[in-house]
Amino acid sequence: MSDTQAAVLFAGSLVVALAVLHVPLGDHLHRVFTSPRHTRAERLVYRAVGVDADAGQRWGAYARGVLAFSLVSVLFLYLFQRVQSRLPLALGHDDVPAPVAWNTAVSFVTNTNWQAYAGESTMGHLVQMAGLAVQNFVSAAVGLAVAIAFVRGFAGRGTGDLGNFWVDLTRAVLRVLLPLSAVAAVVLIAGGVVQNLDGAHTVTTLTGGTQTLPGGPVASQEAIKQLGTNGGGFYNANSAHPYENPSAWTSWVQILLMTAVPFALPRTFGRMAGDRRQGHAVVAVMAALALLSVTALNAAQLAHHGTVPEAVTAAAEGTEARFGVAGSATFAAATTLTSTGAVNSAHDSYTGLGGMVAMLDMMVGEVAPGGVGTGLVGLLVLAVVTVFVAGLMVGRTPEYLGKKIGPREIRLAALYFLVTPALALGGTALAMGLDGPRASMLNTGPHGLSEVLYAFTSAANNNGSAFGGLTTDTPFYTTALGLVMVLGRFVPIVLALALAGSLARQRPLPATAGTLPTHRPQFAALLAGVALVLVALTFLPALALGPLAEGMH
Amino acid sequence: MNVFLRRHLAAVRALLVLTLVCGLAYPLAVTAVAQLPGLDERAAGSPLRAAGRTAGSTLIGQAFTGPDGAPLRQYFQGRPSAAGDGYDASASGASNLGPEDVVDAAPGAPSLLSTVCARSRAVGALEGVSGARPYCAPSGAGAVLAVFGPRERGRVTRVDRVVSVNEYCPTRPFTATYRGVRVECRKAGEDVAAGRIVPVRGDAPARPAVPADAVTASGSGLDPHVSPAYARLQAARVAAARHLPRARVDALVAAHTTRPALGLLGAPVVNVVTLNAALDRI
Amino acid sequence: MPTPSTLGPRVLLPALPGALRKLDPRTLWRNPVLFIVELGAAWTTVLTVRDPGVFAAAITAWLWLTVLFGTLAEAVAEGRGRAQAASLRRARRDTVARRLRDGTGAPEEVPATELRRGDLVVVEAGGTVPGDGEVIEGIATVDESAITGESAPVVRESGGDRSAVTGGTRVLSDRIVVRITQRPGESFVDTMIRLVEGAARQRTPNEIALNLLLLALTAVFLVAVVTVQPLAAYAVGGDHGLGDDPALGEHGINGVVLVSLLVCLIPTTIGALLSAIGIAGMDRLVRHNVLAMSGRAVEAAGDVDTLLLDKTGTITLGDRHASAFLPADGVPAAELADAAQLASLADETPEGRSVVVHAETAHGLPARAAGDLDGAHWVPFAASTRMSGVDLPDGDGTRSLRKGAAAAVTGWVRERGGAVPAALDAAVDGIAASGGTPLVVAEACGGTARVLGAVHLKDVVKPGMRERFAQMRAMGIRTVMVTGDNPRTAAAIAAEAGVDDHVAEARPEDKIALIRREQAGGRLVAMTGDGTNDAPALAQADVGVAMNTGTAAAKEAGNMVDLDSDPTKLIEIVRIGKQLLITRGALTTFSIANDVAKYFAIVPALFVGLYPGLAALDVMRLHSPQTAILSAVIFNALVIVALLPLALRGVRYTPGDASALLRRNLLVYGVGGVVAPFAGIKAIDLLLQFAPGLS
Repeated sequence: MSDTQAAVLFAGSLVVALAVLHVPLGDHLHRVFTSPRHTRAERLVYRAVGVDADAGQRWGAYARGVLAFSLVSVLFLYLFQRVQSRLPLALGHDDVPAPVAWNTAVSFVTNTNWQAYAGESTMGHLVQMAGLAVQNFVSAAVGLAVAIAFVRGFAGRGTGDLGNFWVDLTRAVLRVLLPLSAVAAVVLIAGGVVQNLDGAHTVTTLTGGTQTLPGGPVASQEAIKQLGTNGGGFYNANSAHPYENPSAWTSWVQILLMTAVPFALPRTFGRMAGDRRQGHAVVAVMAALALLSVTALNAAQLAHHGTVPEAVTAAAEGTEARFGVAGSATFAAATTLTSTGAVNSAHDSYTGLGGMVAMLDMMVGEVAPGGVGTGLVGLLVLAVVTVFVAGLMVGRTPEYLGKKIGPREIRLAALYFLVTPALALGGTALAMGLDGPRASMLNTGPHGLSEVLYAFTSAANNNGSAFGGLTTDTPFYTTALGLVMVLGRFVPIVLALALAGSLARQRPLPATAGTLPTHRPQFAALLAGVALVLVALTFLPALALGPLAEGMH
Repeated sequence: MNVFLRRHLAAVRALLVLTLVCGLAYPLAVTAVAQLPGLDERAAGSPLRAAGRTAGSTLIGQAFTGPDGAPLRQYFQGRPSAAGDGYDASASGASNLGPEDVVDAAPGAPSLLSTVCARSRAVGALEGVSGARPYCAPSGAGAVLAVFGPRERGRVTRVDRVVSVNEYCPTRPFTATYRGVRVECRKAGEDVAAGRIVPVRGDAPARPAVPADAVTASGSGLDPHVSPAYARLQAARVAAARHLPRARVDALVAAHTTRPALGLLGAPVVNVVTLNAALDRI
Repeated sequence: MPTPSTLGPRVLLPALPGALRKLDPRTLWRNPVLFIVELGAAWTTVLTVRDPGVFAAAITAWLWLTVLFGTLAEAVAEGRGRAQAASLRRARRDTVARRLRDGTGAPEEVPATELRRGDLVVVEAGGTVPGDGEVIEGIATVDESAITGESAPVVRESGGDRSAVTGGTRVLSDRIVVRITQRPGESFVDTMIRLVEGAARQRTPNEIALNLLLLALTAVFLVAVVTVQPLAAYAVGGDHGLGDDPALGEHGINGVVLVSLLVCLIPTTIGALLSAIGIAGMDRLVRHNVLAMSGRAVEAAGDVDTLLLDKTGTITLGDRHASAFLPADGVPAAELADAAQLASLADETPEGRSVVVHAETAHGLPARAAGDLDGAHWVPFAASTRMSGVDLPDGDGTRSLRKGAAAAVTGWVRERGGAVPAALDAAVDGIAASGGTPLVVAEACGGTARVLGAVHLKDVVKPGMRERFAQMRAMGIRTVMVTGDNPRTAAAIAAEAGVDDHVAEARPEDKIALIRREQAGGRLVAMTGDGTNDAPALAQADVGVAMNTGTAAAKEAGNMVDLDSDPTKLIEIVRIGKQLLITRGALTTFSIANDVAKYFAIVPALFVGLYPGLAALDVMRLHSPQTAILSAVIFNALVIVALLPLALRGVRYTPGDASALLRRNLLVYGVGGVVAPFAGIKAIDLLLQFAPGLS
């Protein structure tokens, strides 16, 4: 079997699995978020939380709920890390230093899961389980809730009601993420992922040396790490670690988990908007962009352009033998396309162009298919902008799903798309302009620049994967990346909810022959084109000095 | 203010409830399920049993080197490791060096290219094959020149001086001249940043005798596998060192080769940890 | 009025002073894209003065030209409107009004500009109407050519729906008293002048939204360009052998080049042309003799979902025409035709004339006039008798022929002892059932009277209406015919005209109800009207086009006035509204698509000194980094001028469904926008390689 065949089979089987899976999962999500009935467990939660589950919220109240919950989460997670040495299951680890604790708290609450620490040498089991893994669940649930609220904006009939944040959060956890994670965790254990509460134990190896093997509740965390597009690894090597990802097929399962919900949400969107074809168009755009990226990344890695890869005769540095170059490339594409950020190989050692594709995946705004919830929101906001320009070209005030796109909507959508590039490029420029942060680079020349650009792009888009060479546990990077993560998460969320609120207040207009149809291949192609062109135009100058300079010679 | 407080109190309560559910009940329940027979061994870390004791994990690679760091001839060697000092399971990680990391920072601080070249030379020597690779000098350093001179559109128009950047004096550079100019060895501490960096491919075969995985570190540094090609390359040496028939060793290699799952996922790989354990059991 | 299709010096030169005035940063900041270009040009000017060179000077010059071309575009558009407004203004500048003093009623002479609302003025033959108003006394013929361009005089009289007069028009005969309905400076002409000159132009919602989008794009590119500087500085710092590079220095990219990159990326094309497009749209409307009270109304016209059309005058010619003669049993068709024609010669109504014409055209009878027959006694049509006819000497007695409403004529026959055959009733009912109006023709001769047959009068749908409605349907616009006719008649006409829906026996309040119903469903409604009773509906409609001949109340209620009083103009208005939006969208797409080629020119030129591999991006194989950057800047400036005629004319618009429109415009302006600059930049580069002083 040639490398190319292996790549096609690996990616192709994922496409087939997703094509099958997105239908029942999308329908399930639709049921979960439109059902008026609360389960008994949910009613218990609402009573404990003290909220009226049947009260609708306008966008402001919804957004304040999101922010309050996230603020409380950051504070709790920060304190939890700061006192871990006094808690059980700390495995003898110290309290996490303040800058790293802040960065990690922010990172996990924002669904970024950037890791300024090495898991096995920093975090005890309790912080991993009851701190980090909890945020793996709830940060994904917040993303899902925001996406559902956003879609309600399109489906709204003039009331401005976006649903209830506490209900959406609870249902996302209890009816979607928890059951799926439980199943996935058992599957992963069967594949060899560890699940115990043991500390590290030292053994004598075959040659008489010693080796310290770590333990931990890994499988339970691994499942939600991927399903919630979180990506924060239990161990430093993340999904390259044999205890997190023991075989090619567990790697396949992990890719399926991270793409499952984002690819199912368009179907949910189509059903909630009352026109499944709209969902088909959205999922088609996501799939097309994703396939393009998977193909490009595999092609770049298999062609192994670059001095070291050519010397090696393969882009094998930093990849695990069991995954192969193709299995690594496809994982890299999936993790950057979905804002997951888990890695099963070292992106830093990828070919120049391969690394650039991973960056482009994030730069496109994590929309293909993006993170849980945030991907759909991002693509729909992009659709609003596309509809605006395309709508003008057919001679009508643009409208999307019967909602007029006027100055207010464009202002919010345009700001949404301004935030992440500004954060990614601004952060990179700041770091490159300062002597101290520049010294954190492991590599020199364009590759060093790529490390910094990757870091800020990853943080701004809440991806969390890294070009591992950059030393980021310095005060500058923990602070700067932390701020970029917070702003890159919550500013777009607030803008999206405001946009949804604005749309929800409009009564839907009937479609006529003069209305731009947004479910046809024509519009889908245009949307994909706009995404690519905007991203290329925004980032090309920076890329030209990093991966492009490195990859073309 | 009242509303503000109420909202944040609700957030605190929601976080506590969800922490109980997702942070305690869920992982403990999964851990309980993991105790079921069939899952329990795997959940415990797939321990490697050898001579009645636990000698590691079948999933975690080990170093098969002597106290001096030299490879033990009777063992199949795994891939180079960037985890700690090599296969340190408490410090998983990769080299994180980029594809154009080709200029050594100093003697003893080799670039990735020089590291690859040195590994290739060492493996070639161990297995009795040529360790030559593209872009590698016979000295085991990366074959890279710094070309000094005025430039036009980035290209050096008139070569003034050429230095082989990874070959410190008194090493004789891998090539005598470049574009008619004599190539110098690099003096200790010499800054070559003003030169145009030109890697030289050389005449090494396109398919070197030493496989790719033998010269590259994995992402985790704990990779227990090597490619079948690398295993084949080592089989003769191991058979000789253990005084075993080659066929016996080949059969064991085959027995410890993992085929792609369902015939389509992943590459075929040989688990050197279980393979070496099996060899020890003979 | 001249419509310059090309931009010669005759158009550009007069606009130049205005364009230069617009360079004032205190006004230019309102156009953020051009303002940034101006800031950049100022900055490169400083840099060029400090460190002179051919390249820097050339870039600086072209950056200034870019700003100037932008302001010139707006100035040209305004200039065209101003030329149009000038003749109007001339017409009313010197007008002296004869105002009737309160109480006494004696006229006094005051300048027209001092007239207030409610003033009464007298205008006599040869005088100019001093302001918009309503005739409250008298009747006169008025020459409205100054405003409508239509030379045939029109009648204006007090009361009814022809009472409105417009300032600047001239009374040709008689004397009228006009009550002024405008405030000073707020006449239709004033509004029109302000609109076409662009002075009072308020940005429409779509324009505001597009501006915001352009602002965001500008901000993104600003971020992209500003942040690349520390990155470039780092890259330069890592290469000690860079030497003398045209684009790079020790601090990164040199200032002139950095500004060039920024200017080429931000959407200067659409930024420069946006206001010209808006002004030109208004101008196009005025050229169609339509005055809009706001740009918003024009945009709304492009969005219209439902058109409410009065049947009479809009869909049909307004009068009924004879379409068939149906002879009674035993009467030859020729005899009926002859009798009908004779009986109608004294009928001056359009219906009567149409009977005469139909007899000529359909039955080959010679044209006859009332004077041709000696001794005939003509009975003209009267509303009281609802009949016309003629009494002809016939031997000793007389032969009387009558034609008229079925009831009237059958009554006339019965009075004279004649019988009305049952077959006639059937024919009459049949005509009515088909939506027509039945007339009956009868003869009384020598003491007996008999029915000769019936005439089928029907509404005649204007030629071409079916096709137009089909176009509207393709555009997604629903047409609804409103008529006072009975349901049967209405349905027949609706079917014949091809409208989507109709409302019969409509009263004015039904129109408002219909508009509200459509609007409740989220649809935008347009209608035309002229009568006072149309005013509430005109006000309710999203686009209300009042006929200039209509009452002041109607004109005040609507948001547009059609000076030609042509109800079918609504269709043109919709087209202009759509064209305005399409032009904006198309040029935005073009502007952004252009960036792709500019990147391929500039990015390799910037960094090839550091990373020679990037030369592979230089797909145009440009002469040198300097000519590459300059070519992109020059192209960026010239494209503004090149597209100005298109911005003023509007892009081609053919009614059709949205997908087809989008496909075409994407192909032309999207794909074309990507491809064109490759050719343009390469061509400029080929010329520039001969320029002295550039490397």
